Amino acid sequence: MSLLRNPSKEPLWKDEFSVFTGDERYVTRRQFTKFLTLASLGMFVGNLWILARSYFAKSPVFPTSTVATTDEIPVGGVKLFSYPTPTDHCILVRTGEDEFNAFSQKCTHLSCAVYYERETSRLACPCHHGYFSAKDGSVLQGPPPRPLPRIILERQGQELVAIGVKVG
Amino acid sequence: MAKVPASLESLLDRFGPHPAYTPPGGWQDESRNPAQRLVKTHCCFCGQQCGIQLKVRGNQVIGFEPWEEFPFNHGMLCPKGVKRYMQGGHPDRLLDPLMRTPQGFRTAAWDEVLDYTATRLRETQEKYGKDSVAIYGGASLISEKSYLLGKFARVALGTRHIDYNGRLCMVSAGTAYKLAFGVDRSPLPWSDILKAQVVLVAGANVAECAPITTDYLWRCRDAGGKLIIIDPRMTPICRNADMYLPVRPGTDMALYMGLLHVILRDGLERHEFISNHTIGFEQVVESVRSWDPRTAAEKTGVPPESIERAAHLFAEAERSIVLHARGVEHQSKGVENCLALINLCLATGNIGREGAGCAMITGQGNGQGGREHGQKCDQLPGQRSINDPEARAHTAKVWGISPEEIPQAGYSAVEIMEAIHRGEIKALLSCCFNPLVSLPDSKYTQEALEKLDFFGVVDFFMSETAHHADVVLAGSLQEEEEGIGCTNEGRVIHIQKAVDPPGNAKGDSWIYCELAKRLGKARYFPFTSTREIYEELREASRGGHADYYGITYEKIDKNMGIFWPCPTLEHPGTPRLFEDGRSFHPDGKHHFVVTEWRQSGDPVSVEFPIYLTTGRVVSQYLSGTQTRRIGGLLDLYPNPRLEIHPRLAEQYQIKDGDWVTIMSRRNEITLQAMVVKTIRPDTVFIPYHWAGKRSANRLTHRTLDPRSKIPEFKVSACQLRKADGPPDWAPAPGDLVPQSGKGKT
Amino acid sequence: MHGYEFYVDPSRCIGCQSCVEACAECETHRGKSMINFDFIDRQGTTATAAYVCWHCDEPTCAMVCPADAIKKGDDGIVQSSLKPRCIGCSNCVLACPFGIPKIFPEYEQMMKCDMCYDRTSIGKKPMCATVCPSQALSYVRPEEIAKRREKPTNVFQFGKQKIVTRVHMMVPAETEAVSLDVLDYMWEESYVAFAQPQ
Repeated sequence: MSLLRNPSKEPLWKDEFSVFTGDERYVTRRQFTKFLTLASLGMFVGNLWILARSYFAKSPVFPTSTVATTDEIPVGGVKLFSYPTPTDHCILVRTGEDEFNAFSQKCTHLSCAVYYERETSRLACPCHHGYFSAKDGSVLQGPPPRPLPRIILERQGQELVAIGVKVG
Repeated sequence: MAKVPASLESLLDRFGPHPAYTPPGGWQDESRNPAQRLVKTHCCFCGQQCGIQLKVRGNQVIGFEPWEEFPFNHGMLCPKGVKRYMQGGHPDRLLDPLMRTPQGFRTAAWDEVLDYTATRLRETQEKYGKDSVAIYGGASLISEKSYLLGKFARVALGTRHIDYNGRLCMVSAGTAYKLAFGVDRSPLPWSDILKAQVVLVAGANVAECAPITTDYLWRCRDAGGKLIIIDPRMTPICRNADMYLPVRPGTDMALYMGLLHVILRDGLERHEFISNHTIGFEQVVESVRSWDPRTAAEKTGVPPESIERAAHLFAEAERSIVLHARGVEHQSKGVENCLALINLCLATGNIGREGAGCAMITGQGNGQGGREHGQKCDQLPGQRSINDPEARAHTAKVWGISPEEIPQAGYSAVEIMEAIHRGEIKALLSCCFNPLVSLPDSKYTQEALEKLDFFGVVDFFMSETAHHADVVLAGSLQEEEEGIGCTNEGRVIHIQKAVDPPGNAKGDSWIYCELAKRLGKARYFPFTSTREIYEELREASRGGHADYYGITYEKIDKNMGIFWPCPTLEHPGTPRLFEDGRSFHPDGKHHFVVTEWRQSGDPVSVEFPIYLTTGRVVSQYLSGTQTRRIGGLLDLYPNPRLEIHPRLAEQYQIKDGDWVTIMSRRNEITLQAMVVKTIRPDTVFIPYHWAGKRSANRLTHRTLDPRSKIPEFKVSACQLRKADGPPDWAPAPGDLVPQSGKGKT
Repeated sequence: MHGYEFYVDPSRCIGCQSCVEACAECETHRGKSMINFDFIDRQGTTATAAYVCWHCDEPTCAMVCPADAIKKGDDGIVQSSLKPRCIGCSNCVLACPFGIPKIFPEYEQMMKCDMCYDRTSIGKKPMCATVCPSQALSYVRPEEIAKRREKPTNVFQFGKQKIVTRVHMMVPAETEAVSLDVLDYMWEESYVAFAQPQ
């Protein structure tokens, strides 16, 4: 069965209802049923594959990276950094004397960069007025569907080291 | 008395012929219930004996498949072979033996009918003498059965009267070839036709009676061969004839003597061959001296120029073949006609070489085999003569009796019927023969049958003759018993058993052995199978001309047939005869035999001015007992038609489709006319396959060839009269076929 | 069957109708024969002719079928009408230049020769060509046909329509195409539709 129609002088109906079985372009019920069965099978196998993959998936290994020192940021201050890769923009907020919270800067709505609103102690997204808690990244208001991924920080002496990402 | 019990209508209604149109089980049965095996065997009909495979399921033949490997026909078949399989499960098939009652026939048990038959035969012989009973056999029987019948007549009954329906077929050619060559067989295999440069076909409607031979003729022409056809009618092979000679019925001999005259006059004979291998030439030269082309033309109606040209064409070729059939043989000069043709071949050296010779086209299925092993009134197995003391001694030894106990020669088929008519023969046991349809002068035959004290018939359908029987013994079809036959070329073939006889029908050989037991001759008929009969046949034929000693069933299967004579198991068979230049005569020479002109037995006169000739159509076989029961075949040609030339028809104001009464010196019948230009204007033609009021043999006469005793079917005299209307048997007006020859397609 | 072609030679036909009877044996068409058999002029001659479907390259019957019931496969065989689609309108019967399709009003179906597709697709010969005793219908290799005096052609001129067929017709050696229209034999170069007043 040829997929593409050869350009010809014949009217379309002659091609579509060709007397030559070799030129026929309609699908027989048998062919269609075969196709359905194979496609379903394919999809089923695909699903199994996905299941298997997630079952045997390894937990991701994150790099460690020094983000800042404790005396670098004042209380209520912000530092922008990149973790784990240079393109993953993150924001570190010192919400209290000893409270350091770091999150991914990508708003979970449409990926605009969020900023710190000191007065309300929340992370705000200017695009659609979405607001996240600066303490745990949960959604306070607006369209974002999920909380901001938290960057796990470890205090090593005076240094704040990023050691992983926790999503959701 | 053998008058027909019950009315004809009730018999026809109960026993048929009823045409069958669907295979056993119907048309859809094969895919649901496919055939379980294919049996390689041969057709049950004509002498071509085409190879065919039968599809068998359980105990039924349900269809056919071509057998392309068999070398004679390569899978080709005529319509009769295609439809033959419809006989086995046919509703008209006799499944039980029948006894006559005043009201009709009743079924009976085998013991009753066999006891009754044996008792009546014995009583008749005790009262009237051994020769008061006669046996009829047939040429469609396998050789084992025809051998068995010969032995049955002579050993079980001790009568000298046994003959067969081949008396109506091959005896003229047989007698002629025995006189000329000392043996009765086609001297050449059919493959020789392909190598001939000229083929002269005389009195043979090859296309309709031996269809597969047509392919041989056409292939001969492809290679440059020329075809000369001699026939009062233009048969289908004439469409490719190089020469067509429309001989007047009954005048063939004059034509062949005219041809020989031209050959001798112009010095075209082969002197070396004649002097080295023949005797009797001078006498034949003398006999044709007066048959110049002009004289021959006046006698035959063939132009003198055609006679000259045909003679030259035939004699100037290196290799010429003559093929002949009943057209020349069914005459009171039948033997001489064949001898005249043989003389032509001998004079031109056309015998015993590849691509040259003469041959009869045997018509019936085992017409060749059936005329070899003692079924004839003057014959013993191995094609021996019953008068020959050596033959009698050999046969008696095989049969376990003394030579004196073998009766002398008896009456031939028509003579037996005449003896019945005058009261000399009182009882008749018949198998594979339908004399009411196939003997000439059927009114006479009917009178004779009604005079019989006892009439027993062995058959698988109720034929018209069997209506007269006291007992009908339900016998077997060809595919129900294993055996051998011999084809028209002299090739011995193996007929396979495909199925058992259905119902309570029995194998014919079993029937005759049981009868022999009841006649006190059990020890001479110890056979439990046809294979055992064949073993005895081999022994009985040993040393005779038709020597089968070296032929076994297995050897046949391995070699696709063996040509006789085959004297030892190592011998490969003899496809071509006379290759060593010697005939089968003691002197080793081929004999020229003088032929002398005489009139036919039923000459035309003022009162009966038209020649009547009879013959066949391709869709029917012999008396039609089998083929008139197959719907497809009947539709091709449902009723006999009178073939008449427009010029003759005009004289009687007959148009195509009109009803015409044909009168002969004996009787009259009324048929529809078929006005065609393909027949001589002084001749009319009727096919003979129908019975009763449609039977051509109501008109024919009982003149026999004095030597072969064959009836003169091909030459009668008749008168015509336009009928007032259709006869009572005519089909309803809607079924009438006004246009010439148009069958259903 | 690969390498084999179908040849029709009416001059060899002897009118036995073995082809008609053998074709009718097929369970697919149950006793109805698909052979077209002709007594050409029985009054004047015993000449007869038997024809099978010519399996044209561009089958006219298929082109005119309103129900798209006639198909020609890649092997060149034009099949008989598809049972679920044929409406028994006889368009194909009228359109075929050779008069091959047969209409069966009792089934409302057209049936025609399909070159014994059930046989040829598994390497057997068509039934008619196997049984024909004169080989007027034959299914052989071209080398076999070359032995004959006639030559095969498969080009027919039907008026203005040139038809090329799968099945060959045996014709005298000089013939190029078989003309089926009286116009091909006329003297005038163009023909006049209506008789002109003299």
